[in-house]
Amino acid sequence: MNVAVSKGGRRLLWLSFWFLVIFLYAPILILIIFSFNARELVSFPWEGFTTRWYREFLQNQVLLDAIRSSASIAAISSVVTTVLALPASIAMSRRRFFAKGLVSGMLLAPLVIPLVVLGTALLILFNYLQKVAGIPIELGWLTITIAHVVIALPFAVLTIVPRMERIPVALEEASRDLGADAWTAFRTVTFPLLAPAVLSAYLLSFVISFDEVVLASFVGGQTTTFPLYLWSQLRLPSQLPQLPAVAVVVLAISGVVVVAAEVLRRRTDRTLTSSTAVPDDIPNRVEVRTA
Amino acid sequence: MAAAEAAEPAPSRRRRLGRRAGPTLGLLSAPVLWVGLFFVVPVVMIATYSIAGISGLSPNDLTSFSLTPWKDFLFEGPYMGLFWKSVRMSSIVSVTSVVLAYPVAYLLALVAGRRKYTLLLIIIVPFLTSYLLRVLAFRVILGDQGVINTALETLGVVDQPVGWLYYSQFAIYAVLSYVWVPFVALPIFVSLESMNTQLLEASSDLGASRLRTFVTVTLPLSMPGVIAAFIFVFIPTLGEYVTPRLVGGPGGYMFGSAIESAFTAGLDWQFGSAMSMFLVFAVGVLIVVFGRYLNTRAVAE
Amino acid sequence: MSDVAAAISIQRVSKRFGDVVAVRDVSLDIAEGEFLTLLGPSGCGKTTTMRMVAGFEEPDAGRIVLRGDDVVGVPPNKREVNMCFQHYALFPHMSVGNNIAYGLKLKKVSKADRHKRVDEMLELVGLAGYASRKPAQLSGGQQQRVALARALVNRPAALLLDEPLGALDVKLRKQMQLELKRIQHELRTTFVYVTHDQEEALSMSDRIAVMKDGVVEQLGTPRDVYEHPATPFVADFVGVLNALAFRVDETSGTDAIMRLSDRDRVVVPGGGSAAPGSQLLVAVRPERIRVHVGDVTTNGGSRITGRVDDVIYLGTLTQFHIATDAGTRIVAHRLSDEDTAGIDHGQAVTLTWDREDASILHDG
Repeated sequence: MNVAVSKGGRRLLWLSFWFLVIFLYAPILILIIFSFNARELVSFPWEGFTTRWYREFLQNQVLLDAIRSSASIAAISSVVTTVLALPASIAMSRRRFFAKGLVSGMLLAPLVIPLVVLGTALLILFNYLQKVAGIPIELGWLTITIAHVVIALPFAVLTIVPRMERIPVALEEASRDLGADAWTAFRTVTFPLLAPAVLSAYLLSFVISFDEVVLASFVGGQTTTFPLYLWSQLRLPSQLPQLPAVAVVVLAISGVVVVAAEVLRRRTDRTLTSSTAVPDDIPNRVEVRTA
Repeated sequence: MAAAEAAEPAPSRRRRLGRRAGPTLGLLSAPVLWVGLFFVVPVVMIATYSIAGISGLSPNDLTSFSLTPWKDFLFEGPYMGLFWKSVRMSSIVSVTSVVLAYPVAYLLALVAGRRKYTLLLIIIVPFLTSYLLRVLAFRVILGDQGVINTALETLGVVDQPVGWLYYSQFAIYAVLSYVWVPFVALPIFVSLESMNTQLLEASSDLGASRLRTFVTVTLPLSMPGVIAAFIFVFIPTLGEYVTPRLVGGPGGYMFGSAIESAFTAGLDWQFGSAMSMFLVFAVGVLIVVFGRYLNTRAVAE
Repeated sequence: MSDVAAAISIQRVSKRFGDVVAVRDVSLDIAEGEFLTLLGPSGCGKTTTMRMVAGFEEPDAGRIVLRGDDVVGVPPNKREVNMCFQHYALFPHMSVGNNIAYGLKLKKVSKADRHKRVDEMLELVGLAGYASRKPAQLSGGQQQRVALARALVNRPAALLLDEPLGALDVKLRKQMQLELKRIQHELRTTFVYVTHDQEEALSMSDRIAVMKDGVVEQLGTPRDVYEHPATPFVADFVGVLNALAFRVDETSGTDAIMRLSDRDRVVVPGGGSAAPGSQLLVAVRPERIRVHVGDVTTNGGSRITGRVDDVIYLGTLTQFHIATDAGTRIVAHRLSDEDTAGIDHGQAVTLTWDREDASILHDG
């Protein structure tokens, strides 16, 4: 007997699961359909199949520029995020130090601040730095990048720390014991084992930055990122008919990246979990199956 | 053996004290500096601005002290009303998300078996794709000429578009629940999965029905996940202005919208700062009350 | 022992963690080629002592001298000792061959040399042909061998083993004990072995240091430690022991003699200086005690009468719990045979043991 659920309950639960899947994916499916609708307005009726919107958006220079600037901001901010998150995660999982709770609270605090507050606060800071302190920091891609690092950092730390904690300290000690200095031990043992999590952190930071609109709208100045472009378009009562086409392409790419990252993470995760996969009663000479 | 393991690692953990202070500082200085400069300092500045006698775009006089914006905001005008309205709306969104996510998290954690991570991934993927594009999808579905209204009209159920579907509070609830459900499923899934299933067996062994087991064992044990999920939805929703602006119509104006317009349209930064700080306090209260349930690590995994 | 002769000399070393003193003024000299075991319950400081030798902990006080050099403050990678970790700590992302070659690579040993030495090591630990496997494809016992090879390939001044067999099942553990002993014999490498398993310590070591609460309670050969435990703790930790408190009646030469009745008496060598009337704690190993049905006499040894309280059949051995007429309880082990089979609950018996089999326990 399954104590968690009865037979009828199980059916009901699966029903709720599929309902949720439909709820989550139907809008995306509908976008795909409408991206091929020949009608100028993104709505019914269906006026025939066309790939015109795909062709047009590939020639829409403003839109392409927005995507390009979002991609470069995301690429840079996620590198910075990862570079900051890695040492922070190592300190969090391997060291004890004064005020550790305070430091970890500080690093994770951006998780729980409403973005509108952070956006306005950063606007005040940058404005102050520029107008009062005289530091030439123009609102634009740089300030957006800085802001995105702040909100992506806690996610990156929370991605790397659990993996770091699963790497036994003894591995690093073994490396030191065999003659490696601290840096060599990190380079040859810790980092290779940590790499999947670092990659996950990088991709997650990229996705967060690429999709972020609130902070970009406060500190973006004249820079138009892709979400800012969408934001300006979506506020109009009737938007560009190209948008569903753009949406399909962007969603497809991000979907593939996310799934690929997850599959990669799980595959490499096994290197840490299966340390004693083979039972001892197998005699030495017998060929041992690959785990 | 087990006893030896339990007792002996103590030195190896403690060993990190002491002579490694230098490297630890090196590891932490850059990230802490970043968060300090671009998170803590701005929040302190916004607090300062909310009580300093400055306004507009010339923030060069921080000497005079003024509580006028706080007074204006707390005791006059529609702002506190707006705040409570936002609290109500955020609660509805959070509860809806939890109610939608709970059975699925339960299914995946306790029933689905080996496929659970794959199924979980199916639920999570939409969360990691563009939020604004999903809002666009909702316009296509809920709008006056959207899928639902067209279907209803074609079927003859209504003869003109159903107005409350779009540019309404309903649309805000629908879109935000849609956005948050995958995210909410995670902490609930984690709390249910880390639960010792032997407890369920023990409960049923003691003669409890499934419903009783659920109410007396499962639900209480998953409460940390539920509360964490609730908070993680509630806080950002409280500061929302993007979704209300896109799908909410005039009735969807929220507290976050007021902050945004104080900074952009109204150009009254001082007033906006006071409202921002108020939001920070509100969040602070929530964190103090529910902080112990916020196992952030559970969300990360 | 002088600094020069000792492979490792631990001199008055202390280490505390916060409020807890893990190691308290410990001194040990370990000779070249010796197999020394640090034996004790968890938390006794044995692992900390070893980790200080390896360089993972720094002592708060005292010196650690490796082949004549004071190594306090020297990082682990600059110390000429290698370690086998409790859970092997094999690098999961490297093949067996690369695990073993790791230290050699860091020492910039040429590729050809590396290959040769790795193959030699694999041969030594009985894993020839396993170089390309990943650790996860090996059994626990095989992983243990790889860990051993990885440490030994560097030809360390001493090999430190931290409960290396703890994760293996009993049968495999016995097999690996022999294997370790053989390898140590072949290479003549100094082994420092940490365990809480007294049997393991007794069967493998040249000398055993029994530790408790950060202090070495006794240092000696397995026979010494087993047969002449210096403290009640050692006696109790290293096997079952009868610790009997008796009042001294007289002394004779170096012996203390306790008369329990007309004919019953206990003789303890080394108690000659005890004042008559003072209390002594006398240790006797259960397997040294003979159990007789009826009456026997003894010349020079100890003799005590009692009644069998319990008989526990242990296979090869039979364990007797005897309530003596003097009021103490004694455990005796005899090889199971027809005689022991005839002894039953409630039977009156006489216990005897030789003079040399008793020793005095100093309260530790």
